[in-house]
Amino acid sequence: MNFFLHINKKIIFFFGLIIVFSFLILVFSKQINIKNIDLKVSKKILSDADIAEPKFAISNDSRKIHITAKEGNFLTENEILLNKNVKFKSNDFSIETEKVIFDRNKQTAESKTKSLFKSKNTTIFSDGFNIYDNGNKIMFYGNSLIVLK
Amino acid sequence: MRLILSITIIILFSFKIIGREIGETEITTEDGIEVFQDEKYYLLKKNVKILSDNFKLNAKDVKIDFDKSLYDITEINAKGEVNFVSSKFGLNSKSDFFKFEVITEKLRVDGKNSELITKDIEMYSDGFIEVNNLNGDFKLEGMNSKLINESILIKAEKIDGVFSDNGDQKEITFLNVIDKKISYVKNNNTEMYAKKINFDNKISIIELIDDVIIIRNGEKITGDYGTLDTKNNSYKIKSHKNTKVKAVIQNNE
Repeated sequence: MNFFLHINKKIIFFFGLIIVFSFLILVFSKQINIKNIDLKVSKKILSDADIAEPKFAISNDSRKIHITAKEGNFLTENEILLNKNVKFKSNDFSIETEKVIFDRNKQTAESKTKSLFKSKNTTIFSDGFNIYDNGNKIMFYGNSLIVLK
Repeated sequence: MRLILSITIIILFSFKIIGREIGETEITTEDGIEVFQDEKYYLLKKNVKILSDNFKLNAKDVKIDFDKSLYDITEINAKGEVNFVSSKFGLNSKSDFFKFEVITEKLRVDGKNSELITKDIEMYSDGFIEVNNLNGDFKLEGMNSKLINESILIKAEKIDGVFSDNGDQKEITFLNVIDKKISYVKNNNTEMYAKKINFDNKISIIELIDDVIIIRNGEKITGDYGTLDTKNNSYKIKSHKNTKVKAVIQNNE
């Protein structure tokens, strides 16, 4: 007699049932996860950035520095944390970095992340910077490298 | 994938740091840079190293003045254990303070144990040493000022002079040496003391003024005014009315 004819039908039924349940559990869990991810992403977009693609400027009599970023968050009434792809641009130079705290009232901007300054024939790599005195003075922090051409 | 990208960026950045290209000037600092845009200068802080095709400078702190933009350097002021080596000017210096004016090619080192050494001439001072590479003017002022070249040794409080290029060598064409106490000049086998010593290469005459002493081959001549002809190595000494020229001949045997 064939071996398979000896297997209990009940066992086959329960085994099939287990497989079906497992499959359903897997499908539902995935759906829940996807919903969670969607929620998380949407929450992140909504909660992390107070301002999308903010634009500011620091100006005095002789120059104007335009500031752009991907995101901005208010830390206080005047202080804004600019996040991701933060760029400073004036007629003379540009600075790129990842995080900057911009003070609207004091017209200052300070970063403690790796920064790249570029002007004509000049490049400065630094561990951050501070723009103050209405953009007239720039302090580059830490180990810095200037390349002049 | 992100890891590979990060590694690539780090490697590229490292090569950028290590590899200075010809014509570029590379400056590194340990405590940052402060740029004053309206005043047109920037401060380089702590353990500053400047490397270019023409020179190498190390100092604790450096101030750089610029004209149009940061690359357009007009003046360099350095302080604290300043070490300057220039292949272009064929000189090196050590000092507490250092100043270089780019347009006029005027270099000044200040402070105790300052030294400025070229291929042909060595200059030392506890005050300052100033050299103008364009017109050859030089000046040493302060305690322990000293100038040495192949044929001459000068010690005085103030040494003014002019270099000129004679082929590969720099030679002194004019000298004005002053010391309140006494100036000292040694030329070949002749030692000279006076309060004021002048030299003009055109007429080949060393002029000695006040408290003059000339020592040569055991002879010591004193007087108030003297001249030494560097062409034939002969000298003359005069005295004022109420004093006399004194000659002491020593027996060296």
